Amino acid sequence: MKKTPVQSLVARPSFRFYAQTLLTLTATWLIASSSVTADDGLDRIRLRGTLVWGADQEGGGPFVYPSPDDPSQLVGFEVELAQLIAEHLGVKPEFSQGQWDKLPDLLDRGDIDLVLNGYEWTPNRAQRYGVSIPYYVFELQLLGRTADDSLTSWDDLLKPVDGRKRKVSVLGGSAAQDYVEKLAGDSVEIALFEGATDAMEATELGLSGIDANVQDLPIWVFYSDGFSQLRPIGPPTGRGFYVVMTRKADRDLLKAVNESLFKALQDGRLRKIFTKYRIWNETQATRGLETDADGGFIGGDADSPADGNGTKESGEEATASYQPSGGWEVIRQRGGLLVRSAGMTVLLSITAMPIAVFIGLLIALARLYGPWYLGKPAAVYVELVRGTPLVLQLYLIYFLVPKLLAILFPGMELTINAFAAAVMGLAINYSAYEAEIYRGGIRSIPRGQMEAAISLGMSRSLALRRIIIPQATRLVLPPMTNDFIALFKDTAVCSVITVVELSKQYYIQARSAGAIVELGLLTALLYLAMSYPLSVMTNRLEKNLSQERRG
Amino acid sequence: MIELTNIVKRYHQQEVLRGVSLRVADGEVCVLLGPSGGGKSTLLRTINGLESFDSGSIRVSDIVLNPEPGPQRDLALFEIRKRVGMVFQQFNLFPHRSVLENVTEAPIHVLKQSRDAAVLNARRILARVGMGDKENARPGSLSGGQQQRVAIARTLAMNPEAILFDEPTSALDPRTTAEIISVMTDLAASGQRMIVVTHAMSFARTVAHQVHILHAGRIAESGPPEQIFENPQEPITREFLSEAAKA
Repeated sequence: MKKTPVQSLVARPSFRFYAQTLLTLTATWLIASSSVTADDGLDRIRLRGTLVWGADQEGGGPFVYPSPDDPSQLVGFEVELAQLIAEHLGVKPEFSQGQWDKLPDLLDRGDIDLVLNGYEWTPNRAQRYGVSIPYYVFELQLLGRTADDSLTSWDDLLKPVDGRKRKVSVLGGSAAQDYVEKLAGDSVEIALFEGATDAMEATELGLSGIDANVQDLPIWVFYSDGFSQLRPIGPPTGRGFYVVMTRKADRDLLKAVNESLFKALQDGRLRKIFTKYRIWNETQATRGLETDADGGFIGGDADSPADGNGTKESGEEATASYQPSGGWEVIRQRGGLLVRSAGMTVLLSITAMPIAVFIGLLIALARLYGPWYLGKPAAVYVELVRGTPLVLQLYLIYFLVPKLLAILFPGMELTINAFAAAVMGLAINYSAYEAEIYRGGIRSIPRGQMEAAISLGMSRSLALRRIIIPQATRLVLPPMTNDFIALFKDTAVCSVITVVELSKQYYIQARSAGAIVELGLLTALLYLAMSYPLSVMTNRLEKNLSQERRG
Repeated sequence: MIELTNIVKRYHQQEVLRGVSLRVADGEVCVLLGPSGGGKSTLLRTINGLESFDSGSIRVSDIVLNPEPGPQRDLALFEIRKRVGMVFQQFNLFPHRSVLENVTEAPIHVLKQSRDAAVLNARRILARVGMGDKENARPGSLSGGQQQRVAIARTLAMNPEAILFDEPTSALDPRTTAEIISVMTDLAASGQRMIVVTHAMSFARTVAHQVHILHAGRIAESGPPEQIFENPQEPITREFLSEAAKA
């Protein structure tokens, strides 16, 4: 009889060995070294040769938005401002997409050098960040429906109609929200929106009883052509300042930004940019900073009406404006961008799911076969991950992991890029569900299978690998494919950590083109095209499985 | 040689094995009989470690298995399982593998035989148990009797020193029971050592060298089948045999 030496059991690369190797590889891949947080921001930028500025394209015109002529190019007055500042520093500007309300976090993380995206000056921001001199003085405009005669002034807004409070739409977290809250207090109802154009659209349609909209004047000026049923009510009011934000420590950078803005104010370049986007007005002119060729003062310009409507500068044509488009035209123009972003959705999903399944399997094995010091933490992991929202997990991974890495490995300047963080977040979130599915699958394999395997001399891990897990995997494949479909759709949440996938691209393009329906249908179709084959697969797998069981 | 010395097993507070000793010499067929709940299957399963025991010891050739858990016991079990096969009441074939793969699985992955050698050997063994034409079938498509033949082949492929049969025919109808009994009889005739827990009296009567009556966790009587069936000494044996004859 052939006898196998006992050592062969030990010497063979075990299941655990493979698992460890895979984990190490995954970890190495996820943690990519990139950003540096040196003390002197300006030197760093010059060394790098690029000025990385953060903004959210979804905010739309006239700030930063996809060009109507070529949606893969960005335009907007802030794009030109960034160009202007970068030129002054002698470097190239580099745009970095981020969710608007998370831009300061990106600054903290060291991903970007500047926030340049209609951020208004507030005492809090001035305390936490370096804030530049204002590049634009904005005002707020009250908007109502053309057909609504009952609303003709701010006073009307505060009076209830038929015993019902007026309802005002504003952009959540904006200066407009603060202003309305302070002015009106409890006498109006506020509806918060995530997009400025969404708020205007809802007001125009009178959705859920919304009567009015309070909007940053530049936004209204830019989009006014697209909302023919809205009209401005009363003069602009509630002055505020758009400022560039830097990290507090980057003093040299802030100084250079100020210099560049100041120079551009004086020599008329700023006026040119604002005129191009139709947002130069008397308020800007009365700052009195602009000088003529001889260095003389240029006073408030009579040509610039303060309401900002249809501003025409002498000799300078407004060239950039809101051009709503629709129908096949918009699909032809922007469809390609959506399809490309669908590629990101696919990439996120097909990278995250296998990792989720693998972690899920390890967790399930730890719970079923591990000693208590593995099993208990695995159970806690499942409950913790299942019990908290994906968006929070993504946020924590993206913003917390670099901090942890900095504490654990001081001086190594490790960080985690957005794609890796997104994959990690999705994988961790889904691993908890896959773990439970696997646990159920493994438990439903009859005990006799393990007994037969170990009776043949197999070690427990060999029996798991060759006998139990393959059988369990066939059982869990249909529910896991089902989860895969869900994960496809959950990738949309990744936009909170700057990943532009299909949904985010849809919001950006739909808002800038005003083609909510056309692009929405295309987006839905793309999602369907991705998930339907998986649905078919699930059904087929289930059918095969039930046939096998009967057979 | 397999030798069990004074095996005691407690289940919660109750003793299910109360000091069982028995010895199976090379080439011997040993049959365990007795009423249900007497501890036959439990005793059989202590030999390859599917059940633990609380005191006593088990010896398979030069390997000694003690009750204390630990790496030493794991190592001993690993060696015993390679040398002692087991056939189950419920067959326990691997449903995701073909008949041939069921038989070659352990030789390839436990004994490290080459695939070619393992397949060659498996075909020979499958032919011997009358399953040569079913090597590509899935276990799910086979009858119970056919599955049990494959299970026996799977065990034989390990070239075991002994085979433990745990009620191999209890899940089968009388006709297929007869088929399996004939396969086992052939094995015994070829000198295969086996320990069999069964209710098939004919097998015990005609094939066994030694018969042990297990009752309430103890061996009530041991002896060659002629003695046990023709001239039982113990009242427990007589009672069991008359109950079995009625059934």
